[in-house]
Amino acid sequence: MRKVIIIPTAIAVLVVAAFATANLYRVPTLVFPFEVERPAEVRSVEYIVEGVRCRGTSMGFVKMTAEIPGMISVTTYARNNSAIVEYDPTLTDPDSIREAFEALVEREGVRYQYFRALSQRDID
Amino acid sequence: MRVLRALVQIAFLAGTVALMVRGLAGLTPNTCEAYCPFGGVAALFPLARYGQYTCRLTELNVSLMVSVFVLTIATKKSFCSWVCPFGTVSEWLSRAGRKVVGRSFHLPDRPDRLAMNLRYVVLVGALALTWTVWKGDLGFRAYDPFYILFTWGGHGTAAFSFYILFAILAAAVLVPFFWCRYLCPLGAVMDPLSRYGGLRIRRNPEACTDCRECDRVCPHQIPISQEIEVTARNCTNCLECVVECPEKGALELSCYGK
Ligand code: SF4
Ligand code: SF4
Repeated sequence: MRKVIIIPTAIAVLVVAAFATANLYRVPTLVFPFEVERPAEVRSVEYIVEGVRCRGTSMGFVKMTAEIPGMISVTTYARNNSAIVEYDPTLTDPDSIREAFEALVEREGVRYQYFRALSQRDID
Repeated sequence: MRVLRALVQIAFLAGTVALMVRGLAGLTPNTCEAYCPFGGVAALFPLARYGQYTCRLTELNVSLMVSVFVLTIATKKSFCSWVCPFGTVSEWLSRAGRKVVGRSFHLPDRPDRLAMNLRYVVLVGALALTWTVWKGDLGFRAYDPFYILFTWGGHGTAAFSFYILFAILAAAVLVPFFWCRYLCPLGAVMDPLSRYGGLRIRRNPEACTDCRECDRVCPHQIPISQEIEVTARNCTNCLECVVECPEKGALELSCYGK
């Protein structure tokens, strides 16, 4: 009955393969374009936001971002709490977006504390 | 064989319980849902239609789903009796039930086969509701005993969820693998792949004395003593039949008959 070892071996290999392949591709949890005219130049910044955990919290993030001027779109990736914001560089910049966003978090109170950006990275 | 399987089961169950405890202690926002291969199935439609995920589903659910499918093609439904923590709990409960009550209960043949089709109803219902009425929210989690148990009433569950959980656990004490056998939608998805699973139980009629001990111990009521090769879709390669068979060499694991 040496063949029995095939089962736990296959399980171990396939679990490792699943974790490895899950890192090879990325599909968004939410893509939300704001209803604005797309300017000639668009830049992107990625924020890691603990509160972006699913489609619902991604929508919460979008709702708050909508109040910030210069927003073009938000794309979230719940698996790594990532929110990529496209913005109009003639109207705003990553630091201003972050400051505006954190002011909104402050205004909304405890319920939205987990929306604080943990880090940011310019993509363009 | 039993020890090896129990070790693998305990490892997966321990991991799931550890995640549950960390979640309840507020140490992680993740739940068992993040590692559920059925989540991959639920993600397929929104992925194909909108290129986006549903609710909390991610790449990991999809990759784990693919891994479970490959595992099933290779080793039939070994996921159920080696990996699935809810399968492990069901198995232990039915063992305890047999000890206390002295026996387990099975539906007669025909109603049993009919009731097994309920899994397809649950599968279609869960997916259809997720994609329509629940609008991408995993509303199924309020009815999913795996999620209710291993999040202990996590997000999206309600008081009635616990009634469902306790009813299913109580049924598992009397009817082996009640949830797995009659209701599990992941089991329904695995069915067609399991039928062609490569690693199967093979009976050697020359060594077999037709004592039917294998039929008696099989938790899935498979008539092993009447087969040469077990191709039944619900065989989970738990190997109980092999362990209990009194004749050396009468039952073995084979790879496509070899
Ligand atoms: S338990 Fe073994 S000997 Fe008995 S019927 Fe099954 S295969 Fe044959
Ligand atoms: S007892 Fe044998 S036939 Fe029945 S499920 Fe387990 S491995 Fe398959």
